[in-house]
Amino acid sequence: MTEPMDFARFETLVAAYGATPARWPEEDRAAAEAFARTDPRAADLLSQADTIDALLFAHRVAEPSRTLRAMVLESAPKRRRIVTRVRLWWGALALALTAAGGVLAGSAAAAALDPVTANVQLYPHDDVPSPDVPEENAL
Amino acid sequence: MSLDDPDGELVRRVGEGDALAVEALVARKLPRMTALAHRLLGDRSEAEDVVQELFLRVWKSAATWRPGAARFDTWMHRVAYNLCTDRLRKRREVALPETWDAPDPQPLVDAAISAEQQSDAVGRALAALAPRQREAIVLTYYQELPNRDAAALMGIGVDALESLLARGRRALKARLEEGDD
Repeated sequence: MTEPMDFARFETLVAAYGATPARWPEEDRAAAEAFARTDPRAADLLSQADTIDALLFAHRVAEPSRTLRAMVLESAPKRRRIVTRVRLWWGALALALTAAGGVLAGSAAAAALDPVTANVQLYPHDDVPSPDVPEENAL
Repeated sequence: MSLDDPDGELVRRVGEGDALAVEALVARKLPRMTALAHRLLGDRSEAEDVVQELFLRVWKSAATWRPGAARFDTWMHRVAYNLCTDRLRKRREVALPETWDAPDPQPLVDAAISAEQQSDAVGRALAALAPRQREAIVLTYYQELPNRDAAALMGIGVDALESLLARGRRALKARLEEGDD
C-alpha cells in the first residue's frame, strides 16, 4: 500500500514505526525521508518518536539458558547417526563376506587346477598307515 | 509462489538428520524465538516451555518442509505466536481478583538508574499493555518482521497494525512517565 506522503501520512508512519527510517515500510521509505528533509514539522515528530524508540530498546531479555539449549538439541532426531551406524554394520558385513568368499574361491581354484595335490591336501594321510591301527600284514 | 528463503538449505539438511545443521538452526533461531515467547508471555519459564514445543514441531516438519509461500522463519513465528496466544487465552480464563491491577511501572527516565532497571521497567510497562498492542510491538520492533508479515500473523490488515503500534507506543510512554511522578 503506497499512499501519497503528506503530513498526515508521515505522522501515522512515525507514530507506528518510530523515528528510524529503516523501520518504515519499504514502499513509503523514500517519500517519507524526502518529506522529513523538506517539512519543518517533521523534526519535532521524529524527536518525540525517538524518545519512545529509546524506551522500547532499553528492554532486554535473557539469552536462552544452556539447559534449554541442551534440551532442544536433545529433542532433535538423530537419524544421521543411525544411518552412519547402519552403514558401518553393512560395511563390516560386506568385508567379512568378501573375505570368506575369497577363501572359498581360492580353495576351489586350487582344487580345480591341481587335483592330485588337492587330494593329498584333502586326505593327507590316506597313503600312510595309521599308527593306532596295526596292519593286518604285520601280524 | 516460491520465496528465496535464507533458512531453506539449512532446514533441508535438518530434515535429512544432519547433526551439524540441527546445531546451526538452534544457534540461529533459539535466541530469537525465546525472546519472542518471553516478551509475549512475560514469563521466562513459560517461554522455555513454548520454545521446546516449537522445536519439537520444527523437527517434525523439517523432513517434509518444501519452500512455498512462507519463509521458514515466518512459519516458526506463526507456531510460536499461536502457542503463546493459547497460553495467554488460558490465563485470561482464570478469573482475576476484582482488586487486581496491572503492576505499576517503575521510574525510568533517570540517567542514574542502571540499564537493568531500565529494562525491567520497560518490561513491566510492556506487560501492562493491552495484549494486541504488545503483540504488534513485539513482532514489529523486537522480532523485526515486515509489517505485512506481522499483520498476517495477527490476522489483521496493515492499517490495523499501524493503529495498534501507535496506541501501544503512546500507552508505553504514558505508563513509564506515570512511574516518574
